[in-house]
Amino acid sequence: MSETLIETRDLIKSYGTKVAVNKVSFDVYGGEVFGFLGPNGAGKTTTIKMIVGLLQPTSGTVKVAGHDVQTQSMLAKASSGYVPDTPNLYAKLTGRELLRFVSDLFNLDRSQVARRIDELLRMFDLSAAADDTVDSYSHGMQQKISLAAALMHDPKVLVLDEPTVGLDPKSARLIKDILRQLADRGAAVMLSTHILEIAERMCDRIGIINKGELVAVGTMDELRTLDKTGQTSLEDIFLSLTGGAEETEIAEILK
Amino acid sequence: MNTAISPLIHAPDARIMPAVWKLLLLRVRITWNSFRHAKLRNKIGIIFITLVFLGFGYFIFSMSSLLLKFVRSSEFAQYAGMDLQPFLASIPALTLTALFIGTLLTSFGVLLQALYLSGDMDFLLATPVPIRAVFIAKLLQAILPNFAFISLFGLPLLFGLGTSGGYNFLYYPLVIVAMIVLALAAAGFSSLLVMLVVRVLPPRRAAEILGFAGAMFGFICSQSGNFANSFGRDINISGTRVTGILLLANTRWLPLNWAGQGLVALGESRWLSGALLLGGTLGLASVAFWFALITAERWYYSGWAGMQVVARKKVTRSPRPANATLNGIGLGLARLLPKPVLAIVQKDFLTLTRDLRNLSQLVSPVIFGAMYTLILLRSGGDPPAGQGEAPTWFMETFRVVLAYGNVGMSLFVGWMLLSRLSGMGFSQEGKNYWMLKASPVRVSHLLASKFIVAYLPTLGLGIIFLTIISIVQGLSILEFTYSLLAIVMCLAGMNGILLSFGVAGANFTWDDPRKMNAGIMGCFGQIVTMLYLPISFGLFVAPLGLVEFLNLPIAYGYLFGLIFGTGIAAGFALIPLWLVRKRVERLGEG
Repeated sequence: MSETLIETRDLIKSYGTKVAVNKVSFDVYGGEVFGFLGPNGAGKTTTIKMIVGLLQPTSGTVKVAGHDVQTQSMLAKASSGYVPDTPNLYAKLTGRELLRFVSDLFNLDRSQVARRIDELLRMFDLSAAADDTVDSYSHGMQQKISLAAALMHDPKVLVLDEPTVGLDPKSARLIKDILRQLADRGAAVMLSTHILEIAERMCDRIGIINKGELVAVGTMDELRTLDKTGQTSLEDIFLSLTGGAEETEIAEILK
Repeated sequence: MNTAISPLIHAPDARIMPAVWKLLLLRVRITWNSFRHAKLRNKIGIIFITLVFLGFGYFIFSMSSLLLKFVRSSEFAQYAGMDLQPFLASIPALTLTALFIGTLLTSFGVLLQALYLSGDMDFLLATPVPIRAVFIAKLLQAILPNFAFISLFGLPLLFGLGTSGGYNFLYYPLVIVAMIVLALAAAGFSSLLVMLVVRVLPPRRAAEILGFAGAMFGFICSQSGNFANSFGRDINISGTRVTGILLLANTRWLPLNWAGQGLVALGESRWLSGALLLGGTLGLASVAFWFALITAERWYYSGWAGMQVVARKKVTRSPRPANATLNGIGLGLARLLPKPVLAIVQKDFLTLTRDLRNLSQLVSPVIFGAMYTLILLRSGGDPPAGQGEAPTWFMETFRVVLAYGNVGMSLFVGWMLLSRLSGMGFSQEGKNYWMLKASPVRVSHLLASKFIVAYLPTLGLGIIFLTIISIVQGLSILEFTYSLLAIVMCLAGMNGILLSFGVAGANFTWDDPRKMNAGIMGCFGQIVTMLYLPISFGLFVAPLGLVEFLNLPIAYGYLFGLIFGTGIAAGFALIPLWLVRKRVERLGEG
């Protein structure tokens, strides 16, 4: 089996009496794309933020590339790249300046940086807008520059929160291809998404979180065996594990 | 084909006022919900502030009533030696004119925000609510706070005038009506201006420029007193001259004055002239509001629709080599700094200087410094000659204190700049803070970068100011060097304090840079540094005065000043930052 690059153990995050994430444990291995699914408010973003070091867990541990995110945060952060659901970026920097800034934060070798920036800008079709300030970018362009920033240091672990939201089909396809290539080169890619089709087609393994608890982890075949109703599509499995009755009711109301 | 709409809804209602009412009720509900879900201390604060404002209004009413009664008295007229009735009669016209112009000016920014930059327009324009109703509701919501603020001063004053003059009962409700109608007309014109501006400039850019211009205007107005004191000593303003100006301003030729003059006439039971004058203004104002409403509504809809298809204006920057900003900071210093520190410093300088809204906050201390320098240059920087009876030692000590007092003034200018750069060093990251937090940047590096970003420009400004003072006052090389050291150290200590309070009160949720200072921590920081500054600077200067007084060699003064002043300043520069280091690790997790 490949190296474990993300490891969460009994991860808990509470806000006062509300438990947002409750004893979540899973592993993501090098070379795989791991899909993280769950209904709205299930705890996906909170879990992701704990993995990338944006939130401190109430208890439990997270290791990224073998480094504890709490006690060895510098090493863990240096190994990971993160793309948030909303690309809040420095609006008054140009795309090129933003990537250079990130490269300096990660202490990259200056001799390599210019070449790497040009490479990423070309890859994401942003070369023409490289010297425009980020506030003139469309949502899709901001999403792409955000991903380019996360890839600047060629991370071993890439964590993405809803990466395809607001992207046109061409850009969405480009991102999917890039993530696959990254995994094929040995990196661990973890992404949360609401689009079950993407998860089914792209991800090697899938974790489903509901009301803060991890209710299932495994490959598509493993998930199918978990479901007692014998459902075959990810949509059916997802609804059966997270409570699909409400959706049926909504459909009735809309009829 | 079945053209019926959903059986669940009635046919869309094209009536304006019910829709406006619904939208306003929605706003009331949102405000009430915000209050209901606020923390208890915030609720208490809001209630307290409301009571303070009401009390203030009552105070103005009582004072104006009393004062105007006194001014109307025959005793005062005898004492003043002139007839003050024309002055009193001009108060309503002047107040209503001030209300109109004030609403016109202050509504511009609020309307720009409400009409083009608020997030609910997509939702509202997609619903079957008449566009005119949306527009009126937005207009009312936008002008209400400014109207309330202006009325807080204007209404009690006009009511006070009514009670002091024994005006009849009709005067009071008509004052309120006149104020509302004039404010609406002003807001209508203001909305037209907004529509015109967004046809030329993108709304965000317009908001940035407006923020900059507004801040500069406010600052210059607030400092105009200093200019007047320094440069306007020869201007003689007599009471007669003021009354003459007021009479001129209250001319019948200005329709804006008719409302005020009409109110006075009605108050004094001159019914016909009062009704004509007030009715004239109200009629004109209503027509103006209606015209502005129809025109602005058309322009608004096309402008808003245009915004949906026109891409944001691109701001292209010429590609910069990796070390482009370093020339300004100094390549030597850059080589000493760790890469992440330098990256954050460069990034902060770029983002601060490229956003006009930030720039307005930074330019104020520079203007203040320039103004003070002008005043200093005009005075020549000499101590007052006195009567020639003071002992020599006193005059010498006084000269030292005065020389270093002006250095203290340059520290005050530095304090103004540091309050923004250092106190809001972390808050200015806003919603982008995740980029720093998710990167492998040490807390010490983060603090160091923010320290440098605030310190370098402040020190630069302080040194420029000090150099000018030194030349004007003819400070010796020794005095200049010592002052320079005092400034270097005092600013470092002040920076440490303000940055630490900035960490404690960091706010990353703002959308407008002018609103980043949300909590009370920034205020505490400023209070603490106001206490720190005289102590720290005093420790540099006091030993010099003391050795003069004790007739000891001045070298002792410099030595003790250096030991105490530097020690305290260095302590304040480092210890507060050390105390907040753990908090930095948790920033952005709220």
